[in-house]
Amino acid sequence: MIEFSGVCYSYGESPALQDVSFSIEAGEAVCLLGPNGSGKSTLLRVLNGLIFPTAGKYSFEGREITPALMKKAAFAKQFHQRVGFVFQDSEAQLFCPTVYDEIAFGPRQMGLGEDEADKRTRDCLSLLGVEALRGRQPYHLSGGEKKKVAVAAVLALNPEVLVLDEPMNSLDPRTAMWLTQFLGQLEAAGKTLIISTHDLSLAAQLSKRAILFGENHAVEADGETAALVKYAALLKKVNLI
Amino acid sequence: MADIPQWLTEPEQYSPPKDRDRFLDRSIVSFVELLSRFRSQSALERDRLWVSPVSKLAAAALYIVLVSLSRQFSFVYVMLAYTAVLLALLPAGDLRRCLTGAALAAALAYLILLPSALAGSRYSITMIPAKTFICVALVNILSRTTRWDRLAGALRRFFFPDLFIFVIDITIKYILLLGEFALQMLYALRLRSVGRNKSKYGSLGGVAGSLFIKSRDMSEELYYAMECRGFTGEYRTSRVRLSWRDGIFWLLNAGIVLVYLLLS
Amino acid sequence: MHIPDNYLSPVTCAVMAAAVAPAWILSIKKVKKEMPRAKLPQLGICAALAFLMMMYNVPLPGGTTGHAVGGTLIAILLGPSAACVSVSVALLLQALLFGDGGILSFGANCFNMAFVLPFVGYYVYQFIKERMKSKSGEYVAAAVGSYFGIVVASLCAAIEFGVQPLLFHTAAGQPLYCPYPLSVSIPAMVIPHMLVAGPVELLFTVLILAFVKKVSPDLAERVPEKKTKGIWGLLLALVCATPLGLIASGTAWGEWGTDELAGIAGFTPGGMANGFSFNALLPDYSVSGLPEAVGYILSAVIGAAVLVIVFKLVSDMRKPARQS
Repeated sequence: MIEFSGVCYSYGESPALQDVSFSIEAGEAVCLLGPNGSGKSTLLRVLNGLIFPTAGKYSFEGREITPALMKKAAFAKQFHQRVGFVFQDSEAQLFCPTVYDEIAFGPRQMGLGEDEADKRTRDCLSLLGVEALRGRQPYHLSGGEKKKVAVAAVLALNPEVLVLDEPMNSLDPRTAMWLTQFLGQLEAAGKTLIISTHDLSLAAQLSKRAILFGENHAVEADGETAALVKYAALLKKVNLI
Repeated sequence: MADIPQWLTEPEQYSPPKDRDRFLDRSIVSFVELLSRFRSQSALERDRLWVSPVSKLAAAALYIVLVSLSRQFSFVYVMLAYTAVLLALLPAGDLRRCLTGAALAAALAYLILLPSALAGSRYSITMIPAKTFICVALVNILSRTTRWDRLAGALRRFFFPDLFIFVIDITIKYILLLGEFALQMLYALRLRSVGRNKSKYGSLGGVAGSLFIKSRDMSEELYYAMECRGFTGEYRTSRVRLSWRDGIFWLLNAGIVLVYLLLS
Repeated sequence: MHIPDNYLSPVTCAVMAAAVAPAWILSIKKVKKEMPRAKLPQLGICAALAFLMMMYNVPLPGGTTGHAVGGTLIAILLGPSAACVSVSVALLLQALLFGDGGILSFGANCFNMAFVLPFVGYYVYQFIKERMKSKSGEYVAAAVGSYFGIVVASLCAAIEFGVQPLLFHTAAGQPLYCPYPLSVSIPAMVIPHMLVAGPVELLFTVLILAFVKKVSPDLAERVPEKKTKGIWGLLLALVCATPLGLIASGTAWGEWGTDELAGIAGFTPGGMANGFSFNALLPDYSVSGLPEAVGYILSAVIGAAVLVIVFKLVSDMRKPARQS
């Protein structure tokens, strides 16, 4: 479903991704592991069609994602509905006056009708356990609450692929555990999950497969998570431990 | 833990309705270009054109004044030569950008003045596009060959108070920080604009309004951070030193000023 | 509304800089009084905000988009003095670092966008708000205030442009800077601002104010700045003195006869017969005033520089295309 072949990306002169290749099938759950600065966030931006490779190809369901293609409004909107992105910084993701509006934003746009949109919003509110916050302003919520609202807002689009950038950052242990379980439920429901993290134990819980990135911005390993996290020599090499 | 509802387990067969939201893409482009300018200037390890920022700033100001005052095309021609040489010294990327900026400004000036030229006023159309080219090119060259914090520091030599320079430094820093936040938010809006947004205006208010609120929070944090480091309101910038290269540069500049005086 | 260099004479630029200087001084004094010295660096963040507000593209019904200045908005949220300082710093950085707006015309740009725009906008806002006590009254006040602010500012810019051909011309009567008189510059500037830039500014201001009031109402609450008699006096003095200053400086340069007064209605260039002159389209680049040899050398220098430039650009274009 998702295919990266030889993708490179540079911010001006400094490289962020070097010759990255992998493919992800529908329904898989994959963790992107790597130290800070290895290019994980950049990769996620390419994945979501926000930036485009300076070399190489990114294909989604066989179609290459190019600037020209993303300029077509119809395709771009459909693409963004199918691939949901939860930012690392939840604060930058919430721009509506109330939590309810934030979650209802997506469904309202999709032309589902007021009732269906309301149903989905209420479903997401209860799924993420934030019904009590529905009338509150997102800006003034705590870190964990913001993250839940952000996940709910993205989920309300019913994406097939859910991409999360360092989701456990700034979450207390209880919320982090809750989110891990929730992501497991989503995987069981058929969603494709792509999660970037530098937390090894978490990766082992979240997904069977992990792709490891090094400080050289390239793929160092791609395989079973459980095996990878035990492979101390490799992890030391990429400066993750 | 609640059960996953049915609609989440089935893929959406979704066909997006049409909508007009060019403003969002255009805003994103503005911010992306802004931030990439910041990145490229911070990557300047050593200022290009090897003269100190103070001299570059003073010379740019001097030439803009002289060009603006000048009524002789002969002097403008001399300045065109000077500008062309400076442009030729730049690396290709900077050169292209300075040149396009200056050329566009000059072309725009030409278009604006065309009606007056057709009505018989020849002076404006001869002089102003050329002058515009020179002035815009000089400012662009200054801005692209000097690291901005050094440029702000250079202002100190022009009798601006230290506190003012500090405010400018903070402004530059926060344009970058807040700019990145604003861009993230615009991306967030774009990613969730999957259909017809009936409340575009509300979204714009949300995105820009959140920027304002964020800036207030950052103000608080800045104050606390500076308190913790013992800031009392005094700010010392390091002196920008002049070298023998500046001496040669100013000999050249003096020559050009002489030419100006001779020609007028 | 950023005025570039070479459209206003250096004298006009100096006069406008002198006109805005008292506003700067008073605003800085006011801000220093309200903020302890240790908090003053926060002005940098206000200036960054003012800078970034100008980058948003605002949609209008019908499909056009435009950029707002945001001066009145900042005046409402942070006070007109803070707005004056913030917008001035933002304009300085735009001019110096991005080439948006001229260096010499910086004073004029600040006068229009950092002084007239926020102050007119703010005091109109205050005036209406005090008289419309309803909840929506504040939004109406903000809308009208911001609209007026930018339209009056554009009028000031139009006047700055329009007096140029009147005051600054060669002995033959050719205008040295902006060649369009008031009869052209005023409609050319004010009408687009009334039709496009004004509504853009209005929308931008009201939308953000509405959001901030809903989400963080405490940030939208401000003790309104007391109108001292000083402010009105200053405003009146500036409004009267500026054109007088322009005209007075003009008398030193040009003649001030009745035919000049008639010229305000529309400029008739001296020395030109009638109708079109195609020569005007292809200006004649002979370099009179320089000895021939020097002219040749300069041309050679320019030629060589152009060759180098073209070569650099071509080899840069040959590099593999990068996507932004």
